[in-house]
Amino acid sequence: MDGGALSVLPVGAGVRGAPLLRCLLRGVCGGVRGAGSTRLLDRLHRNRGAAVWETPSSSPGPVGSALSTKFGPRPVVMAGGILAALGMLLASFATSLTHLYLSIGLLSGSGWALTFTPTLACLSRYFSRRRSLATGLALTGVGLSSFAFAPLFQWLLSHYAWRGALLLVSALSLHLVACGALLRPLFLTEDPAVGGPGAQLASLLHHGPFLRYTVALTLINTGFFIPYVHLVAHLQDLNWDPLPAAFLLSVAAISDLVGRVASGWLGDAVPGPVARLLMLWTTLTGVSLALFPVAQAPTALVALTVAYGFTSGALTPVAFSMLPELVGTGRIYCGLGLLQMVESIGGLLGAPLSGYLRDVTGNYTASFVVAGVFLLAGSGVLITLPHFFCFSAPTLKPQDLVTEALDTKVPLPKEGLGED
Amino acid sequence: MRALPGPGGPRAPAPLLLLLLCLLAAARPSWADGHPSASPVTSLPVREEMMAKYSNLPLESHNISLTEHSDVPVEKNITLQRPSNVELICQFTTSGDLNLVNVTWKKDDELLESNYMINITGSIMYTLYTVTIINSKQMGSYSCFFEEEKEQRGTFNFKVPELHGKNKPLITYVGDSTVLICKCQDCAPLNWTWYSSNGSVQVPLDVQMNDKYVINGTNANETRLKIMHISEEDQGSYWCHAVFQLGESEERLQLVVLSYLVPLKPFLGIIAEVVLLVAIILLCEMYTQKKKKQPDDGKEFKQMEQLKSDDSNGIENNATRHRKNESVSQ
Repeated sequence: MDGGALSVLPVGAGVRGAPLLRCLLRGVCGGVRGAGSTRLLDRLHRNRGAAVWETPSSSPGPVGSALSTKFGPRPVVMAGGILAALGMLLASFATSLTHLYLSIGLLSGSGWALTFTPTLACLSRYFSRRRSLATGLALTGVGLSSFAFAPLFQWLLSHYAWRGALLLVSALSLHLVACGALLRPLFLTEDPAVGGPGAQLASLLHHGPFLRYTVALTLINTGFFIPYVHLVAHLQDLNWDPLPAAFLLSVAAISDLVGRVASGWLGDAVPGPVARLLMLWTTLTGVSLALFPVAQAPTALVALTVAYGFTSGALTPVAFSMLPELVGTGRIYCGLGLLQMVESIGGLLGAPLSGYLRDVTGNYTASFVVAGVFLLAGSGVLITLPHFFCFSAPTLKPQDLVTEALDTKVPLPKEGLGED
Repeated sequence: MRALPGPGGPRAPAPLLLLLLCLLAAARPSWADGHPSASPVTSLPVREEMMAKYSNLPLESHNISLTEHSDVPVEKNITLQRPSNVELICQFTTSGDLNLVNVTWKKDDELLESNYMINITGSIMYTLYTVTIINSKQMGSYSCFFEEEKEQRGTFNFKVPELHGKNKPLITYVGDSTVLICKCQDCAPLNWTWYSSNGSVQVPLDVQMNDKYVINGTNANETRLKIMHISEEDQGSYWCHAVFQLGESEERLQLVVLSYLVPLKPFLGIIAEVVLLVAIILLCEMYTQKKKKQPDDGKEFKQMEQLKSDDSNGIENNATRHRKNESVSQ
């Protein structure tokens, strides 16, 4: 795609501008589940585990990836949207807690997983030069929609009670189907060469850099979510009132949004492998986390929170846009699905581990330091990735990746759609 | 120093001294029950009896400070749920002569004649009023007045604990069940009752209908009314009453009953909008694809001609060829 891609929204611009808007919309749609589910579940039974709903439940992830590889992202995302809406619809008729958990957790959760991975992966296929920025912008959707939907859901709850609110949220979730409809099928050169989902999974599991990358991201994920879960409690330990503490969380969320967009732009502007930027942001996030226990004064805490928000937001788009550099755009769906499934283990372990450390030591110092250590360990593993120390821009051509992966020496036909 | 005799606490002076004091304060009414007709001689054993009866009640003490410059009357709210002995202390500081200050106590608007003491230490004047509150008749507002040039007033308001329900109406659907909760902080009422009202008349709920109303509360300080099989007639106001030894407290809760049609209309509206969006997107896509296919046939033909003429230029034109191919295939 040439530079015209981003400067024009798709009013008559045709195919080029459309993918960006699609992905922005996907971000907004995807945020519906994040904001909605936590709020409603919190309201219904104040379950702290509701924070887990924020992270995409990734066990159906590989299924979604396999299906996307075979059929393209569009049918998978549309089906996911229907599933998600159906789950909410059934939940509005729930008569027991089990019913509620099953409908939202299983049905809607699977639906969300089916939409999240393919849309994020297909971004890397549509964009090659503005990949990071597109990913960054798409990921802002979650944060923005949380801001926008939170008051909306309060309003829904106060006018329609939880049953009516769930019903209407289900209708809103159906917009994921519309977002999915925007994802036009795309055929890239290396698609036939990398084979079907099974072959891709097998080749990925033997791909050294990909495995190292998965390990790095799992470590990063373990430490990543801890402040989200424990920052407010830590502030209350330091005798902060609930209102300024909640305000500080909002500040972190805003700097997170800014960080995502800034890092996305930076990832495209700076030549060279994106792995270096990822390592930079991860190290900075780890350092700011480890410094949290040291800061006592309010100004220091605010500064650290802004720094944490910015750097943690900054590492997300780069983490996703780095994957196609490693495995190529042909295997992106399976790669992302597998990656999500493994790294979510880290995410699920992180918060309980931190809570356990808190119970054992009496304050959050150990939790924050351990989180920082995990992040630094993850960034350390990133150094072992190939081309890390290259100074020129080794924009990996699809041909190179495919030959590297499949060990074939068949000369490939000319480049097809969607490539520079 | 002026000092008026009065019972200050669980003291038990010798009966002889008491008799003397009673003879001195001959016309004063008995303090506990407010019966002005009791004679001083008979008030002695009554008072002793009452002091013995109520000495096991908890004792509370409350303070109000006033100065000559207090502009607004100072009020203090006291929440009582059990009978207790209460000491009300007002202290007054002024730059003038404390001996010229006139002190009075009033309950609501009725002047109180006994049961208070006045004491001056240094530049502060204290007045202490003791009252035993055993039923709702003794609840109310007790005020101390310090009269110098201006009258300064301090008021103690006795109240039973307030109930908290929900400020916003509770929304529920036909056929659903809901729980109305009334609670108060740190209280243990003798009894809880529920009433419903449409308008101004409160009607007690028929709790015998076990499949409709169930009242229970896990703690003493709350009550829960569970209403099952809700219908449209259940809409309205519900009142929970808490009965204390010293009075009653009530709170109003509102129930709004909606039918399923209410959220269904916006639901169907949004679904229709999504279906429309998807249809528009898919149709636009088919339309643009058709448009591309038609001129593409013409372009491809031209492209083939150009390729044949470019072939002779060799490898340098690979880049241009790629770019041209790209613009065609996109």
